[in-house]
Amino acid sequence: MATQHSRAAARFMIAPSVILLLAWMVVPLAMTLWFSFLRYNLLMPGDNPFVGFDNYSYFLTDPAFQAAIVNTLLLVVGVLIITVGGGIGLAVLLAQPMWGTGIIRIMVISPFFIMPTVSALVWKNMFMNPVNGLFAYGADLLGLQPFDFLTQAPLASIIGIVSWQWLPFATLILLTAMQSLDSDQMEAAEMDGASAFSRFFYITLPHLARAITVVILIQTIFLLSIFAEILVTTNGGPGVASTNLTYLVYAESLLRFDVGTGSAGGVVAIILANIVAIFLMRMIGKNLDA
Amino acid sequence: MGRITLEKVQKKFGDVEVIPPLDLTIEDGEFVVFVGPSGCGKSTLLRLIAGLEDVSGGEIRIDGKPATDLPPAKRGLAMVFQSYALYPHMSVRKNIAFPMKMAGMSQEEQDEKISKAAEVLNLTDYLDRRPGQLSGGQRQRVAIGRAIVREPAAFLFDEPLSNLDAALRVGMRLEISELHKRLETTMVYVTHDQVEAMTMADKIVVLRAGNIEQVGSPLELYKTPRNTFVAGFIGSPKMNLIEGDIARKHDARTIGVRPEHLQVVDSGGTFTGKVGVAEHLGSDTFFHVHLDEMDEPMTVRAGGEVGLSHGDTIHLSPQPDKIHRFDDRGLRIA
Ligand SMILES: Nc1ncnc2c1ncn2[C@@H]1O[C@H](COP(=O)(O)OP(=O)(O)OP(=O)(O)O)[C@@H](O)[C@H]1O
Ligand SMILES: [Mg+2]
Repeated sequence: MATQHSRAAARFMIAPSVILLLAWMVVPLAMTLWFSFLRYNLLMPGDNPFVGFDNYSYFLTDPAFQAAIVNTLLLVVGVLIITVGGGIGLAVLLAQPMWGTGIIRIMVISPFFIMPTVSALVWKNMFMNPVNGLFAYGADLLGLQPFDFLTQAPLASIIGIVSWQWLPFATLILLTAMQSLDSDQMEAAEMDGASAFSRFFYITLPHLARAITVVILIQTIFLLSIFAEILVTTNGGPGVASTNLTYLVYAESLLRFDVGTGSAGGVVAIILANIVAIFLMRMIGKNLDA
Repeated sequence: MGRITLEKVQKKFGDVEVIPPLDLTIEDGEFVVFVGPSGCGKSTLLRLIAGLEDVSGGEIRIDGKPATDLPPAKRGLAMVFQSYALYPHMSVRKNIAFPMKMAGMSQEEQDEKISKAAEVLNLTDYLDRRPGQLSGGQRQRVAIGRAIVREPAAFLFDEPLSNLDAALRVGMRLEISELHKRLETTMVYVTHDQVEAMTMADKIVVLRAGNIEQVGSPLELYKTPRNTFVAGFIGSPKMNLIEGDIARKHDARTIGVRPEHLQVVDSGGTFTGKVGVAEHLGSDTFFHVHLDEMDEPMTVRAGGEVGLSHGDTIHLSPQPDKIHRFDDRGLRIA
């Protein structure tokens, strides 16, 4: 089948989509790189002189940058811990045969279908609001002082909201993995005298290792660029307490109209994401090999 | 010690009674085989003994002690599954060590038992491999090794050889029999292959739809099947069951003659028919003979070199003392 001729034809046929995809990727990347070396502020029209690495040194020495890095990592790690831990727990529970699992499964999955902005707004106004929120009401009932989540613990609150959104994803992936667990193995372990805990630790967890790896890799990609939840809840504040890298880039380029520094920040973010990716693949990628 | 008694043990799945109340005693050191057609409840019965399934009624005793409500691990039994059920992420060594690790045995003791089991089962070279890197027969041996090191009161096997090819099956059959001779531990073995049952068992339990049809040694079942079901199930090829006038001549509803108890004679004989398919096995030849008075062909075992071919007329006469007679309910007439 794959003759010289048909291969040439195939290449010719897929060329347009490959070129389009490349252009789609390369052009913005090249422009971002180019802008990051210019003094380019929308508030100061005129020519945009080439300034070398000035934008980078400005962005990297900004005190907000360090805070943003720390916040980004905290956000990613925090959400990963909650969703993977909770996801394993829920998957193990939902894999048990019990009454109404169908409905419960759909309910568990549903947060994933809600748009990030919407869910963040719901959390902000209906749950975490110190005056009208459900939590404030609960605290009130117990005679406690309402807690202003988004002011007093902004990053933790955002971690909570994002975890709520991503928990279904982790649960779903891990649940499908649970269902491929051979019941004979569990029974063999039971006969071998393994307690429920040992069975979980020695049989279930190793079986889930690959699915957990997939969850961590996919979620990390998305969690590095969390933005909407921050924008609609805290606006990165108070101060920079809940500013992550993505939000900092946005603040630089669109709030201060500084395209040059924003672009430099974007490039820094890309490099950082790649470092994290390499690090992750080194650390847990071996789980993906058969 | 491994004496297992079942008293009025019953199992229902919802409203479906898979095992009606049954009594059975398995003596210490015995090799007991459960046989029966697919779906008759062999696995279910084994799982009831193992404790992987709860009984719906009745009592299970192991060495005289009530075990009905004991969890599987506390019954002191080891099970070998049809799918082997090895732990795929652990090496062979860790697989075998797992029950001992769960029992909190010291490392030296574990190592000693592992090397002993590996030696018995020819697994020494494979101890550091994963189950995925082993052949079917080797996996089966690992599963047996994992059972041996627990030194159980009894071994339970659920069709352990059905995933192996024919040659390997014969080999493993011998190995398991050998192991039984050496360990002298009770073994309960489920199979639907009656050759396995005949060759390995001290005692065969024939099941049909959850009922015990007959219990006895292989030769007892072969010589004196209690009813037509057992008669048709034990023996290969199957016993010929004949109804009608011929049976009535023997004062029975049905008579049974095994293929090996029919003789080809030159003329006369009790049955006369035409040769259908002939199966030449070298040592033996099996003829399927079509009789006028029967719908189903009759199977005959003849010597290796009988010069009959398709369409020839054949005369048969059964050995008179090897005719089994059954009454209206299919029960043996003594
Ligand atoms: N969990 C279950 N729920 C409902 N019915 C079941 C269940 N397990 C087994 N059965 C039924 O019980 C009967 C006996 O099943 P079992 O697995 O013991 O048969 P078996 O003799 O081992 O057959 P095979 O030789 O095919 O393995 C079957 O009719 C089966 O449909
Ligand atoms: Mg079965």
